[in-house]
Amino acid sequence: MNLKRVWTLIRAEILHGPKDVVLAMAVVMPILMALLVNLAFGNIFTQRAELGIYDRGESAIVEILAKSESVSLRYYENETDLKQASASGAVDMGIVLPQDFDASLPFGKIKFEAYVWGESLAKNREVIPIVLTDAVRTLAGSELPVNIEAVALGDEESVPWSSRLVPLVILMGIFYGGLMIPSSAIIHEKQRRTIEALNVTPTTVGDIFLSKGIISVTLATFMGIVTLILSGALSGPIPLIILVLFLGAIMATEIGLIVGAFVNDINSLFAVLKAGGIFLFGPALIYMFPQIPSWVGYIFPTYYVVRPIVDLSISGVSFSEVLVYLSVLVILVILGAVLLVAVVRRLSTRALRLGS
Amino acid sequence: MNNNAILVEDLVYWYGDLLAVDHINFSVGNGEIMGFLGPNGAGKTTTVKMLTGQLRPKGGRAVLLGYDVAKHTAEVQSRIGVCFEHTNLYEVMSALDNLSLFSDLFNVTDFDGYALLKRVGLSGREKDRVSGYSKGMKQRLMVARSIVNHPQILFMDEPTSGLDPVSSEAIRNLILEERERGATVFLTTHDMWEADKLCDRVAFMNEGRIVALDTPRSLKQKYGKRSIIAEVASGDGQLNREEIALDEEGTSHAVQKLFGSGKVLSIHSEEATLEDIFIQLTGRRLSV
Repeated sequence: MNLKRVWTLIRAEILHGPKDVVLAMAVVMPILMALLVNLAFGNIFTQRAELGIYDRGESAIVEILAKSESVSLRYYENETDLKQASASGAVDMGIVLPQDFDASLPFGKIKFEAYVWGESLAKNREVIPIVLTDAVRTLAGSELPVNIEAVALGDEESVPWSSRLVPLVILMGIFYGGLMIPSSAIIHEKQRRTIEALNVTPTTVGDIFLSKGIISVTLATFMGIVTLILSGALSGPIPLIILVLFLGAIMATEIGLIVGAFVNDINSLFAVLKAGGIFLFGPALIYMFPQIPSWVGYIFPTYYVVRPIVDLSISGVSFSEVLVYLSVLVILVILGAVLLVAVVRRLSTRALRLGS
Repeated sequence: MNNNAILVEDLVYWYGDLLAVDHINFSVGNGEIMGFLGPNGAGKTTTVKMLTGQLRPKGGRAVLLGYDVAKHTAEVQSRIGVCFEHTNLYEVMSALDNLSLFSDLFNVTDFDGYALLKRVGLSGREKDRVSGYSKGMKQRLMVARSIVNHPQILFMDEPTSGLDPVSSEAIRNLILEERERGATVFLTTHDMWEADKLCDRVAFMNEGRIVALDTPRSLKQKYGKRSIIAEVASGDGQLNREEIALDEEGTSHAVQKLFGSGKVLSIHSEEATLEDIFIQLTGRRLSV
């Protein structure tokens, strides 16, 4: 392994790779998918959380909330309308302001009763209480304790389609690019016989695989982040989510490199992807159709990429709750690395060089 | 250490049941141009792949510049250049970028792409995409790439195959220049005339074995039949063609008789070609 040669190959790939159709597709397809999902089901143009208010008095807090850039306000004439709006998803959360709300502020603890739409996004459920707390403290002029008692309305078990499709978009972002880029790059080298020219330089199979792998992992992680942003789902512990995306990108790249080592032309690559697509994108089906038992997901390696991301960003669970999935993902990545090293060694031993 | 740039001992390779290279032995001296001739499927390419570190021999060994190729592949590959028969350039890149990439992979410190491209007649097209090049231009670029690292041994596989006479001549001149620089050249070709003109020695390969290896002149002397061809006027005004084999017992008498007739219009000598010798040795044509 020679890092200078690896960098030389990476540089050439970065400079000239974008002229390749497959690489362009690997970038464009997930973005298109994310945009289509958002155009169809919302989010990208409806970034702000919706807060419904029924104000029994004339509280000054409404004016403060109206100035917030994080929430959009909707006003209701009575509590029944507010509850109905919260139950139907017209707003993410609805609050009732008592008649003496402003007058009660100097006396200490503030308690809100809030109606929460059962299908609202986790990030919206996080944003609204923060905005409310800030508004109360601004109005009171002191750091009052604020307690929000949430009452879930609507079908809490049901997940909106915009969220159901997020796993598919994530998998497209990571696996389409992470798998296609290294496999197609190696196959192109074989088809165009440029691999033969590399084989008679001091460049090793390891150098070639590592260079393509680094590009792939970087791009797939980036595409994962982009698709999450476009889906409005990059919320929660962002560094942890990026770590999961990174591990997922490594897994995708490992699969891509192994496929690229054994497949000799692009048509066969697409055939392999078609045949193996269910193993890659199976978990997306589980999220799309909740009637499928969730345990089915455990048999798909990619489930251990999607599950922590969805749990962290959409469901808003804590790190400890995704630890098991993360651990399995790390083990799968290590197993993939071991397998990949064996493949590289086999290629190097059987025929000194790839493509011979 | 000896004066051999290439030393091959009992080299063997097989694909499944097919014995592609059958225990061959030969050596190539420093600065020598060795021609490797044989029809398709004779085992030439497999031999070259083993010599250049693309295939691990199943038996025997190949030593280049003192290094066993199978054990010291990187050391050997940093000192050799290979020009392939089939175009395998990065066509989305320019000629200059192609050369620059390989000079970096070889860690060449004195790389001058413009000078190198000038040597192969590609001045003015340095920054053009290779996909827009003609076949001859691509082949000349392949030759330039093969010498980007100033190789001590240059492997050339059919470097002039299918090229126009100008491109072919440019490549032959470059091979001679490389030899002048001190490089050893291992030339695989079907072109007998080219082999005869360029090579110090030639090896004939057939069915995985080397059937003859010597200088073109020695091969012709050993296996070829020399003759003279005369055009003789007949009594009815027609022209007859008469061939008299040289180096035979009755040659002197036959020549005296021919000239004594006073009807010889023209005469020229004819010697065996490498193709003739190959057919004589193997019963096969080289171009098959």
